[in-house]
Amino acid sequence: MHDRLRQPAIPMTPPAVTTTPRRFGRLTLDVRQNVSPWKQAAFVGGSLLIGLVVSVAILAVTGIPPLTLGSELAGVLVAENLRGVLIQAAPLILVGLGASLAFRIGFWNLGIEGQMVFGGIFAAAISIYDIGPPATRLVLMGTAAAIGGMLWVLLAAFLKTRFRVNEIIATLLLNYIAMYFLFHLLYGTWQDAKTAFPQSSPFRPFERLTDIAGGVNSGLLIAIAGVLAAGWLIHLSRIGFYTRFISANPRMARIVNIPVQAVTMSIIAASGACAGLAGFINIASQEGRLTQSFSNGYVFSGVLIAFLSRNDPIVVAVVGFLIAVLFITGQTLQVFYQIPFTMVQMIEAIIVIAVASSEFLIRHRIRWIR
Amino acid sequence: MNDFLINWMANAPVTAVPYALAALGLIVSERSGVLNLTAEGLMLIGALAGAGTCLTLGGHPAIALLAAMAAASLVSLLFAGLVVVLRINQVIAGLAVVFFCQGFTGLIGTLAKWQNKQLTGLAPLKLWPLSEIPAVGRILFTQDPIVYLTVLIFIAVSFLLFRTMLGLRIRAVGENPAAADAAGTSVVLHRILAIVAGSSLIGLAGGYISVVSVKLWVTGMTGGRGWIAVALVVFARWAPWPALWGALLFGCIEALIPHVAAAGIRVPQYLMLMTPYLATLAVMIWVGAKDRSGGREPGALGQPHVREERR
Repeated sequence: MHDRLRQPAIPMTPPAVTTTPRRFGRLTLDVRQNVSPWKQAAFVGGSLLIGLVVSVAILAVTGIPPLTLGSELAGVLVAENLRGVLIQAAPLILVGLGASLAFRIGFWNLGIEGQMVFGGIFAAAISIYDIGPPATRLVLMGTAAAIGGMLWVLLAAFLKTRFRVNEIIATLLLNYIAMYFLFHLLYGTWQDAKTAFPQSSPFRPFERLTDIAGGVNSGLLIAIAGVLAAGWLIHLSRIGFYTRFISANPRMARIVNIPVQAVTMSIIAASGACAGLAGFINIASQEGRLTQSFSNGYVFSGVLIAFLSRNDPIVVAVVGFLIAVLFITGQTLQVFYQIPFTMVQMIEAIIVIAVASSEFLIRHRIRWIR
Repeated sequence: MNDFLINWMANAPVTAVPYALAALGLIVSERSGVLNLTAEGLMLIGALAGAGTCLTLGGHPAIALLAAMAAASLVSLLFAGLVVVLRINQVIAGLAVVFFCQGFTGLIGTLAKWQNKQLTGLAPLKLWPLSEIPAVGRILFTQDPIVYLTVLIFIAVSFLLFRTMLGLRIRAVGENPAAADAAGTSVVLHRILAIVAGSSLIGLAGGYISVVSVKLWVTGMTGGRGWIAVALVVFARWAPWPALWGALLFGCIEALIPHVAAAGIRVPQYLMLMTPYLATLAVMIWVGAKDRSGGREPGALGQPHVREERR
């Protein structure tokens, strides 16, 4: 009691500041304002590298020595296999174009496999019902495939605009519906009578995409034409300008009398047409007939290519080629190590996760505060 | 015809359980404001983990189902890290996780040679005096234990989500993360918790398919049920009980397929297999046509939360 009274009410000197050092610092995030393109490229490249290392590690755990993986990859680029890569690149570039066009207008087109199936069915119908003279047959088949893919994606677009059905769910469900419709045809009226396998009878020679100079498949020409057309559409045409306007500010676009609905629908239709053409290339080049699985695994490849190329049609061509290398490597591994083809899908997913994570590093600075 | 009806109705709960559990798991995580598209992938992880545990440990199916839940929760941490911590676009992250799971389960299933191997599985219960009641006994009282457990899980989760503080916090984080953050609720923690907890239910749904209903592991065996569950959540307006009825509806539709063929009614097989997907689309159209107000989805669904960021 007395001791307390002896102390002055207000201490003459401020008490010494006792800083107990904090045991742990903490992480803070700052939002970066602008990042130089080189730094961005470094982040994306670094993340890509981490993704690839993780993929190789998973493969190593599952029994493929990483060193042979290198030689497999080198082997793919040897002349003979390069032809396979170029053949594989064509449908991949087209599905990449399909996905990136739709994403540009904010439409999550995850129905690429279904659109490929309908492209294939429409093209095969031309062959099976023997429509048109042989000289124009391939053109007819290609056109039919584009229309088939277009109709199938426009169904989802219609459901979205008319009934507000989320297009992610609608396009994915339409994939399954298209697949079962294909099975219905292949186990039914379109079944090859000779082999009794669930596939159509083979196309005639004039209905198949042939090799042109240097082992390059004519499918690749279609893909390159698609890249140029889409590049023109997005970067140079009026529709491309409208597309950027609509995705940046849809309300403003309506106010200044941009035909939002028409532009949106035509971009979505172009997306479906690309997927349909990819289906046509797959059945008309390697397979030479309508099969059960010519569209398997292309949805995610399309999303991946669109994502990595940032929806730019020209970059799609490059990324599509690289993914084709991955596909062909996957096929060789499948043959030699009995690794299922789903592995390619897993590696693609890891790459997407890695690159998407780099977005975080680009936009934020992490600091450690003590 | 009477037999046909009873058999059909008796099978409906078995096909409905995966839809119900997966949709409930999605509801839990979407109520926290995370648009969760991972169901298809996590169901596969659950199915593989369940089948693998059954085959390698030869143990009780309950252990297999717990393993399925644990495995799906573990993989969902990846998704949680991507969308909650790294704030990646939730659609891209969800798709990437689904495709990762599809690839991963295909790879592991093939390498471990679990493909197409018969499991012991879980036998249906016979609740003796009740199961002897004609028709009703066969439909309601001769199901496997998980069917009854599913109802209990629904009661528990509804209670947790709508009657407890934890549930309130999770919903608050989903409706208005900025306000919840200001009130001292950790957005990151509650979202991760909701994703992981919801994913354990999705894993159970997948494990149920492989361990209880099909008793096999086949690559890609969930066959789009996860996407149907995603649609079911929209149909149920993010509420548990409508999701259960919706799941029962889809269960009835799916259960009809084998019974129609068995009854000798001639319908093209593959057109029949389309019906669950067509029915889902039909339901989505119905929801869209009926409800013009925009529904009652969680206010912040699909938006990452960044503290102090101006919108």
